[in-house]
Amino acid sequence: MKAKYMVLVFCSLLLGGCWDRTEINDLAIVTAAAIDNEEEQKIRLSIQVFIPRELTSGQGGTGNGGGELTTVYSGTGLNISDAMSKVQAKLSRKIFWGHCKVYLFGEEAAKQGMAEHIDFLVRHPGPRNRAYLYVTRGKAKEGLAIKTVLERSTAEALREFASLHIGMAVTLIDYRNMLKSESEAVAVPMIENGSKLQTPAQIQTKSILIGTAVFKKDKMIGHISPKVTRGLMWLRNEVTEAAITIQPPHVKGIVSVMPSRSRVTLDPVIKNGKWSLLVKVDTEGDVVENGTLLNLMNPDLLSIVQKAVRDDIQARITYSLGTLQKGLKVDVANFAGAFHRKYPKEWEQNKDQWEKIYPEVDVRSQINVKIRRPGLISAPAGVPQEDVIKE
Amino acid sequence: MLEEGEKMQGNEKISAGQMGLLMYFAISASAVTVVPGITGKYAQNDLWLSPIWASLIGYVTVYIACRLHQLYPKQSIIQYSQTILGSFLGKVTSLFFIFFYLHLTGLIVRAYAEFVVGNFLTRTPISVVMISMVMVTALAVRGGVEVLGRTAQLFFFMFLIPVALMPTLLGSMKLQYLFPILEHGLKPTFLGAASPQAWFSEIFIMAYFLPLVSNQEKSMRAGMWSVFGTMMLLTIINVFILLVMGRQAGDFLYPVMVAFRYISVADFFQNLDSVVMGIWIIGLFQKISVFYYASVIGTSQLLGLRDYRPLVLPFGILVVIMGFWSIPDQLHVSAFDTFAFPFYGPLVQTVFPLLLLILAFWQKRGQASHAGRTALTDDTNS
Repeated sequence: MKAKYMVLVFCSLLLGGCWDRTEINDLAIVTAAAIDNEEEQKIRLSIQVFIPRELTSGQGGTGNGGGELTTVYSGTGLNISDAMSKVQAKLSRKIFWGHCKVYLFGEEAAKQGMAEHIDFLVRHPGPRNRAYLYVTRGKAKEGLAIKTVLERSTAEALREFASLHIGMAVTLIDYRNMLKSESEAVAVPMIENGSKLQTPAQIQTKSILIGTAVFKKDKMIGHISPKVTRGLMWLRNEVTEAAITIQPPHVKGIVSVMPSRSRVTLDPVIKNGKWSLLVKVDTEGDVVENGTLLNLMNPDLLSIVQKAVRDDIQARITYSLGTLQKGLKVDVANFAGAFHRKYPKEWEQNKDQWEKIYPEVDVRSQINVKIRRPGLISAPAGVPQEDVIKE
Repeated sequence: MLEEGEKMQGNEKISAGQMGLLMYFAISASAVTVVPGITGKYAQNDLWLSPIWASLIGYVTVYIACRLHQLYPKQSIIQYSQTILGSFLGKVTSLFFIFFYLHLTGLIVRAYAEFVVGNFLTRTPISVVMISMVMVTALAVRGGVEVLGRTAQLFFFMFLIPVALMPTLLGSMKLQYLFPILEHGLKPTFLGAASPQAWFSEIFIMAYFLPLVSNQEKSMRAGMWSVFGTMMLLTIINVFILLVMGRQAGDFLYPVMVAFRYISVADFFQNLDSVVMGIWIIGLFQKISVFYYASVIGTSQLLGLRDYRPLVLPFGILVVIMGFWSIPDQLHVSAFDTFAFPFYGPLVQTVFPLLLLILAFWQKRGQASHAGRTALTDDTNS
């Protein structure tokens, strides 16, 4: 009797698991996918797939050095799933989305609207919400052909870029959060046209990231430069690592400060029907380069530098608001959310008017910079002792 | 084999703590997967408040179940409903309860299978997922209530592993999603509580387990604690998914799954969904076996059988069939959870027992005033 049950249990264990059994050598592991618009309402899906043979060949074998680790397949269809089945027809293995870390969207596809594509990525059980989104200049397919010197694949390189926070890093969840936020404005980092980044020489001199694509709802309406992006990242409280290089007033030479910790809060005020917003920045950092003659161990001299850093951050924020608020008129910093959280009633009454209110919001900033450490040396390192200004 | 057969259901005992854990699984195992999504649809960013309102019905239900049990110790609801309502009405009621739990067990199995097939085993026929689960639970139910109690103790800490994994997403959490709190007043949070309160009312299933508890005096406390524990778990999970996903939490069918999929520590500790999934399957195994056990033991009491074990396998078949008959697809699972169950569940599991309790009090009082003058042996408060 007992033995009978045991047999049944083991059967159920085996049956439950084996139906969807997929061996790793039956899978085509997608590392990145690119989506482009084509003529006649069609889209092109291109996937970058690992070539497992190269991975297993090991040391000293045949595959080292020049061998490609990934290859690109593509197909066209009415939407992603349709295109995917066309791609599948060209592949001997089953497409596996679980390791796809990067989705690239061509500029044209982004301008036509990403709604359908995003729906697929969220609805299909394969793709992961942790994957990063990028918009590419030109065709996204060419983005997959970008040769990387350090990383195994384009996908890996772009994922590393995202974790460095040099530009914005937007996952699928972040994208949907921005889309569902009060402002309905989305920002997705943008990368250079892939055809311009083919040889190692081109990659070593040009940067991949070229700012940010800005969306209203699901349609891309503009592109902002890396400089504006930096200001936007300050407003979104996303700055982690980037040196601020300033020239203190009335002093010869420049100083670089590396902010180590920054906190940005948006403090909205509605007074007499006038909407204004105070951007509060608290940042601390270390001096990493001192090209002046100032000895920064002196608090008075340090405060000159602090003030210059403060003015620089202010200028960055003002500069990027000039583009975002007055130019493109998109609220990617989600000021609307800040107003909503503090003034839910006023927001409820005025949310339909936000498009009109936003460009008129008076933004001021209150920036608090603390330079905690002068680096590893006190006096300027590269000049004789007597030239250093101590007071 | 002989020992098993001789072990009568009356001889088996569990502790109040074990019963509390069983009840904890019976509510929370399936609640954590689907309820946050339903709550999020209504309560938006206040979804973490809803379980608190919803748990109120749980406390009331525990109270009703325990009072009924105090009035009729050693009897389950199948038996005392016949005492209260008379033989015929009582039997009809019992039959209704048995069908209710049979149907519910089928629904839970189906919802579990929809979850597994929708997220993981996309090409596996749903019947395989359902049948394999029912087979495992059938073994547990045949093992008896002591087995259920022990497995609950064993699995409880495993079931808390997902909670322990939550801090790994601290980096992706944004506190600002909590605000503005109560933007549209309390009403959305009450609407959001409609679905979880149906889950909380499920704790009435403890009425089947109360006669088997060895330390009776602690059973009400254990029931209250399991309602409280479930409330805390749901609140924590709702806060967690809100902080990670913001207002899109309500868009997903299984938001908690999405949140756990999002975990990535240092780029290698990731794709934890299968771990979390495994733990939930354990929880659902407990839940299904509790409901399965209740429908089987209820039937055996109605039919006056000495042993419930012969009923286990036939009921397993019925459970799978119920899972197919009641619901054609995932949409209907969601629709049932959102619109029907919030009324159906509490009506059968809280309001109806409350009526029974009122009737029982009334009867006992009548008996007491009749008999009180002649005999002092009447035990109203036993």
